[in-house]
Amino acid sequence: MIHRLFVALLLLAIAAPGARGLESNVAASPRAQASLVSDVDAHTAGTTLRVGLRLRMAPGWYTYWRNPGDAGAAAELAFSLPAGVTAGPIVWPTPARHPTGPVMSYGYEGEVLLPVTLTVPPGFAAAALPVQVHASWLVCERICVPEDADFTLTLPAGTASNSTEAPLFAATDAATPRPAPWPAAVSPEGVLSLRIPGLDASQVREAWFAPLAWGQIEHSAPQDFSPAADGLTLALRPGAEFRHAAGLSGIVVITDHTGRTSALELTATPGPTIIPAAILPLWQLVVFALAAGLILNLMPCVFPVLAMKAIGLAALAGGDRRAARGQAAAYAGGVLVTFLALAALLVGLRAAGSVVGWGFQFQSPVFVAATAWLLFAIGLNMSGLFEVGGGAVAGLGSRAAARGGATGSFLTGMLAVVIATPCTAPFMGAAIAGALAAPLAVTMLGFLAMGVGFALPYVAFAAIPGIARRLPRPGTWMVVLRQVLAFPMYAAAVWLLWVVTLQAGPTGMLITAGGAVLIGFALWATGLAQHRSGIGRRLAATTAIAAGVAALALLSTLAAAPPSSTTSASAALPGEPFTPARLAALRSAGTPVFVNMTAAWCVTCIVNEQVALAQPAIRQAFIAHGITYLKGDWTRRDPAISDYLRALGRDGVPLYVFYPAAGAPPVVLPQILTEQRLLNEFTRAGI
Amino acid sequence: MTIRRRALLALPAALALPGLAHAAPSVGATAPALIGTDSNGATVSLAQFAGKPVVIEWTNDGCPYVRKWYSGGAMQELQRQAAAMGAVWLSVISSPPGEQGHVEAPQANELTRTRNAAPAHVLLDPDQKIARLYAATVTPHMFIVDARGTLVYAGGADSIASTRADDIARATPYVREALTALAAGRPITNAVTRPYGCVVKYRGQV
Repeated sequence: MIHRLFVALLLLAIAAPGARGLESNVAASPRAQASLVSDVDAHTAGTTLRVGLRLRMAPGWYTYWRNPGDAGAAAELAFSLPAGVTAGPIVWPTPARHPTGPVMSYGYEGEVLLPVTLTVPPGFAAAALPVQVHASWLVCERICVPEDADFTLTLPAGTASNSTEAPLFAATDAATPRPAPWPAAVSPEGVLSLRIPGLDASQVREAWFAPLAWGQIEHSAPQDFSPAADGLTLALRPGAEFRHAAGLSGIVVITDHTGRTSALELTATPGPTIIPAAILPLWQLVVFALAAGLILNLMPCVFPVLAMKAIGLAALAGGDRRAARGQAAAYAGGVLVTFLALAALLVGLRAAGSVVGWGFQFQSPVFVAATAWLLFAIGLNMSGLFEVGGGAVAGLGSRAAARGGATGSFLTGMLAVVIATPCTAPFMGAAIAGALAAPLAVTMLGFLAMGVGFALPYVAFAAIPGIARRLPRPGTWMVVLRQVLAFPMYAAAVWLLWVVTLQAGPTGMLITAGGAVLIGFALWATGLAQHRSGIGRRLAATTAIAAGVAALALLSTLAAAPPSSTTSASAALPGEPFTPARLAALRSAGTPVFVNMTAAWCVTCIVNEQVALAQPAIRQAFIAHGITYLKGDWTRRDPAISDYLRALGRDGVPLYVFYPAAGAPPVVLPQILTEQRLLNEFTRAGI
Repeated sequence: MTIRRRALLALPAALALPGLAHAAPSVGATAPALIGTDSNGATVSLAQFAGKPVVIEWTNDGCPYVRKWYSGGAMQELQRQAAAMGAVWLSVISSPPGEQGHVEAPQANELTRTRNAAPAHVLLDPDQKIARLYAATVTPHMFIVDARGTLVYAGGADSIASTRADDIARATPYVREALTALAAGRPITNAVTRPYGCVVKYRGQV
């Protein structure tokens, strides 16, 4: 806020040489300087204008929001206006929280403007409009001091233009909560659920709620925040005056992981009981995690791995129980180690500021393609194209598992977890959200429990003596079973190929499928080498290595492949993905272009898209004026978008740029977008 | 609240840290067992007043909201009214040394004398133990405990959150109403109200 105001003042010093300053007498104390300012330099009958109490406080002093919190008092303005002129309520900017022991206050430090809209009636004919106000406010540091003063500001009649204080009003507007365009609900327990379609709430760093009135919630109680589908929930502690049937009005202040803050004003309607994940007690978290891990075995993602396990089980037939137990332990070890490694990676990445969730590695098309190839390779192995010797390569699975190698079982366990991650089992959402929200030790415990649940069926199978004895004696049936179970592997590989297509488009699909051919070729050559000796063997082995290297080289081109544009959820306004080349082409053709740089974690972006861009009038304007809509999705890092932002002096989203037709200079629109502002911009461009 | 910080607060262990725990006493439940030292060096406990209503007032003589109540004699009048109906009045001063409102015992007694106040005891709580026990947020924050030890009122001294003494006459006098209802054996209409005033000066927090 202070920073924005500073920028605004700087802009005003440069940009508004003709504008007149309109500020009343200044009431100064060692704590604060107060005055009344206006956004225009004249009054016009039949219009509205804005005035505001400006408080510039000494360092450490603050004044209060409309709901001051547990202590303090909001500023009051008592206007004396000519007959017919009316004053609206103060439009309060977003406050900050000031916790003091168990006392929570909401207020402002530095400089704040408390704006009020004045309505001048159509017949108002006076030469001057004297705006008189008696203002009283409380400033606090360690001690509180009530202050008050009378201010007078006289606005001459005439055509109003922006005063030098207008940027201060604009900056204040940008820092004022906007009405939430989506519904919110509050449960009888005080859990507030806010729907923000398209928001990736896992990217939210901080969210807090402040009620408009005292007593609705315990202001200083912790507010447990959990991401939810298309929004978030905040577990509030109801206060003495909370009545579920009456709903809950207040503001939600959301900071995304880039540190950008947005505030929404909302009235939550009474909703059903909600038990958010974040307040799961430890025992419940462990039970959920166990159940989630257990059920995960039945999810389709794990199906190919189940095939491998089935072969492993078949290999137990007639085998001795000690070997079976050893294998089971190795498999469980692989599962647990991978679960813990995933947890550690997730926690580490989150701590480092990048926001990732369960299955995050599948966001990378390179990872997905590599996994597809791995499954394909395992399938080929099962089909009998080649054999896998002992040692580290036994990780490729089935053969080693069939032989009873502990290393193979361990690696099978690891593979099972990695392949299972794109799937979510019932209970899993709650368990993972709860575990990730908890302290490190609990996070690890939660993931460990999930691993135990995941490994349990197989371990039980191997450990119960009766089961292995019931299996038929080893024989040809095992070879047939292995060959049949190759097909789930191929099916899984095809599914992953489809995922790559979504992520990296047709090019990505081509690279992945082409790579699969190379892998197949390499493994065929490997198989050939296994049945040859001398020069034939060396030749085949060299061919295999060359094909393998070629496949890996393809993988690196996949990393550079352009991302697919299917990520965006809001398709309200038909548009094209942003590329610098496309923008340049449209510009040289003289086509008007509207560029929207957005991200799924950017609350402001999503609100703007809903309240402005998604409006029918905007859609019509785009069509009527032939404006091409280019949308850049910065949800994942994209150097082209980063460069574009930097070129326009920005380091983050949202960014809206309008390029009028035929060479007129581009207009950077404000980060708080309204339908009217956009339409005005199009009108101004004369299109 | 960041995810990490929330996680820490969610830890049951956090409840073991009295500094972080925030549990406002509930009206209708047994009042927290207050024990403190008064300005004459005597130990005072809530238990010793069993059978009598007790009024607890948080105060800070430098706070403009407290001054509103003492400058025109309104708080002193309320104290005498409470005494007349057999209630015990405890004024609690929780400002630590160096903060507004902090007093040592002799100054506390001097304040009572010069302000012509009539509390039964002035409790000195410079480490905010009692303030945390009652989750007192402001001065003046008012609590009433009935003869059976139940908390029956918590909130403001009256209904108008201002520093103007003139407003007292116009406001709904919550504390006086509660005392009157208690004396008559009637239920208290406004048992939980918004406390208003200056922040209690909790040590070590900004």
